[in-house]
Amino acid sequence: MTDYNIIGTRMPRVDSRAKVMGKAKFTADLKLPHMLVGKIKRSPYAHARIISIDASKALALPGVRSVVTGKDTEGVKWGVFAYTRDQQFLQTDKARYIGDEVAAVAAVDEETAAKALDLIDVTYEELPAVYDPMAAMASETELIHAEFPNNINIHVNIDTGNVDENFAKAHYIREDTFTAPEESYFQAEPYAVVARFDSDDCLEVWCPNGGPHMKSKPLSNSFKIPLHKVKIRRIAIGGAFGGRSEICPADYICALLAKKTGCPVKIQFTREENTIGTRQGHSMITTHKTGVDKEGRVLARETTCYMDGGAYSSTGPIATSVPFLSMEQAYRMGSVRYNGYRVYTNKPIRGMIRTHGRGFAAGLDTQLDMIAEHLGIDPVEMRLRNSRQPGEYTSTKSLVSSCAMDETIHKAVEKSGWKEKWGKLPPFHGIGIGTNSVQTGFPMGIRGGSQSFIKFNEDGEATVMSGVVDNGQGNENMLVQIAAEELGLLPEDIHLVNADTETTSSDPGSYSQVSTFVGGQAVKNAAANCKEKLFEVASKILKVPADALAAKNRMIFVKDAPEKCVPLKKVVRVALTNFISVNAEGGYWPKVDMKREWVSNPYGQMCEAFSFGTTIIEVKVDPQTGQVTVLNCVACQDVGKALNPLVLEGQFEGSVAMGGQGGMLTEYHEWKEGRCLNPTMLDYKLPLACDMPPIHNIIVESIEPKGPYGAKEAAMSIAMSAAQAYAGAVSNAIGVYMDSFPLTPDKILAAIKKIK
Amino acid sequence: MEKLDLILNINNKPMDVRITPNDTLLEVLRDHLDFTGSKESCGEGVCGSCTVQLDGKPVRSCLTLALEAEGCNVKTVEGLADGDKLSPLQESFVNHGAVQCGFCTPGMLMTADALLQQNSNPDEDTIRKALSGNICRCTGYAKIVEAVAHTAHPDDQCPECASGIKSCCKTKE
Repeated sequence: MTDYNIIGTRMPRVDSRAKVMGKAKFTADLKLPHMLVGKIKRSPYAHARIISIDASKALALPGVRSVVTGKDTEGVKWGVFAYTRDQQFLQTDKARYIGDEVAAVAAVDEETAAKALDLIDVTYEELPAVYDPMAAMASETELIHAEFPNNINIHVNIDTGNVDENFAKAHYIREDTFTAPEESYFQAEPYAVVARFDSDDCLEVWCPNGGPHMKSKPLSNSFKIPLHKVKIRRIAIGGAFGGRSEICPADYICALLAKKTGCPVKIQFTREENTIGTRQGHSMITTHKTGVDKEGRVLARETTCYMDGGAYSSTGPIATSVPFLSMEQAYRMGSVRYNGYRVYTNKPIRGMIRTHGRGFAAGLDTQLDMIAEHLGIDPVEMRLRNSRQPGEYTSTKSLVSSCAMDETIHKAVEKSGWKEKWGKLPPFHGIGIGTNSVQTGFPMGIRGGSQSFIKFNEDGEATVMSGVVDNGQGNENMLVQIAAEELGLLPEDIHLVNADTETTSSDPGSYSQVSTFVGGQAVKNAAANCKEKLFEVASKILKVPADALAAKNRMIFVKDAPEKCVPLKKVVRVALTNFISVNAEGGYWPKVDMKREWVSNPYGQMCEAFSFGTTIIEVKVDPQTGQVTVLNCVACQDVGKALNPLVLEGQFEGSVAMGGQGGMLTEYHEWKEGRCLNPTMLDYKLPLACDMPPIHNIIVESIEPKGPYGAKEAAMSIAMSAAQAYAGAVSNAIGVYMDSFPLTPDKILAAIKKIK
Repeated sequence: MEKLDLILNINNKPMDVRITPNDTLLEVLRDHLDFTGSKESCGEGVCGSCTVQLDGKPVRSCLTLALEAEGCNVKTVEGLADGDKLSPLQESFVNHGAVQCGFCTPGMLMTADALLQQNSNPDEDTIRKALSGNICRCTGYAKIVEAVAHTAHPDDQCPECASGIKSCCKTKE
């Protein structure tokens, strides 16, 4: 076993002290001299042509400094991909959902800004609107985007061949359809942005983000200023869960108002705006057709999924693919055909979310349980017969190197007492299992790699610069742990400068679960390069070859004779006085298939590592009320290597809350003609402390050969598999396979009534 | 609206503040006095992120008028530590990994601190019930409940004590 000093320890997070003292600054906490309040006027119609906008009354209101509309944007359009550039930051011709941005104001205070919004006179001509993907595809009324026939935004087609032939050979075939409505992130921190142009005409921005470099590029494009003039600053971020990766129209609008007024501007979303005006999860209608042999091995699968994408593309091609990818990574399939359609509707924009495709995944596992029952196989055995094995290729040709899927199943089964419980529990008492796999990275083009710089200070401490952002998951601590481990320092000796586009190099962001694997590895490599330089200097002091040296606890010592040592600080000082640089850089670029593209070529190496998780849930259902009480949860994931089990457990537990307890029992949006009826915390039911079951975390370490210390994605496989396990457990308790998620009491009661 | 001059006793210090009568305590704390530790997350009294204590009782500062706090001892998250020295509850939050994004943390701490003042011996159910007015989206609450429980009942079995990196249980030595 490798002997690490700091990696693998339950080290408390470096950022938590400031947070418990109330000192950590979030965007809304910022105050700058002469700062104005910005507010956005949003469309009250789901689909309407904008005839005219008259801002004269608003501009005449004392205290109003600027009003901006689509005319001020020079028609700039945003899209993650060149072929999905469909969203203006302020609409000029039409509004496509209730909440679409049509104008904005900057004023001296919130009250004035709110009054000014009411004084902006927008004349609309209402257009017929569509609110669900099936209706949108069939609609003969005006398209939401003229260039997308049938309102189909994205179509992903994956076909490995031999699907029909293998169905013909199948012993048993099932086809089932599963649905789930939209869910929301409900990050604790409502979206906020502060922007200003500084004395050098540089745009400086503070906002929650999933990667500062992913924000700076679209701002640079939109304002036609060089990238070095866009400075996204590091700020504490109150959660993301996939919802803060892209540019938000508010970022651009805030910067535009700052430009027009010459003052800093702050836009702070209300809770309702955070739900409506950022991103939501996609609703999905998924049909899985699965053919198996006598032993339950999947010979052929055909999956068709219709996703309600809302008004704009967002991360459309990725969102349309990921539920399929998680399935193909977790399970072996003889052959598979996938058709994913992301469809425009006149509803808020949908993006990636922690349990992206909860209905897709839970449907698949429910169907596996159905097939298992038909064949008389235990659900656990059913999964083991189809589970991914190391060294295999996924259906879309990604090599899976490290994989301990089976170990996660075995360990979760043992801990949960599955064998004593499955089929033996009293009525309305059930147990369910879910297994899933999540990517450690996507092909990210030019931002696929990360670089880090480390400089030594004369006191022997180090400043580490990295583009990695922390959304709350503990990325900053991860970087500090890695740097301290590699440099032989203590965590308190590391000063981290991160997530700032002025001082840090390009980085993929926390998007695609890749922060540790890519950004962490970049810091590790930079530190290793520093260490090499330090050892060169130390070898002269200690009179031994550099490769005989090691560093730990602020000392550089001879590996075979640790008593021969020199303080690291002294080595730094010797280097400085001899004009030798001990500063260094390092980077990491994952070897993925750069030709792989979401729509045009969805084959090839997706990422370098995949994680695998199993969750087992035990529930009791009250047949009178349909209320589900969760008795126990076992969450087990192959994370490669746990860099910090304390942080990791917290990620597992949070994943169970969002993916399972909320995602499968209470969380969903309700609608009336494109209007979200439950955008606030009062009506949208988030899990509370009293709702949560005991959670038993089991960490499996498969040591991914390409990951830093063997690490790969951590805890997303729990969020996904928890959704599946919750669904399985409830179905098992009531004796009905549920096909509409989340499993709310009304649906459960209806299902119970039906079998009676 | 007419402005009013008010003296608020915040974290044992009298503070002069000029307010409008409809200003909430949260607005006055954050915007007038720069106590930005208290957070606004829902703005309608549901999430608990803005929780502060009035005479030891946890209240939603987004639903409390600043005027109502006149004559009370207002305690905010900034008042928990003694200078640089964290309170045992804060220390326990840090050591048990109860903090992730940290946005709900100040409110969570103020509710938990009020609970422990009232009940020095709460069981897990009592803690969970007391914290159920505070929404956390990151942690699944497990480590938060653990952190509160350990403040009340330091425990040698706790993995954080056993890890040796930091002692989370003050009575251990």
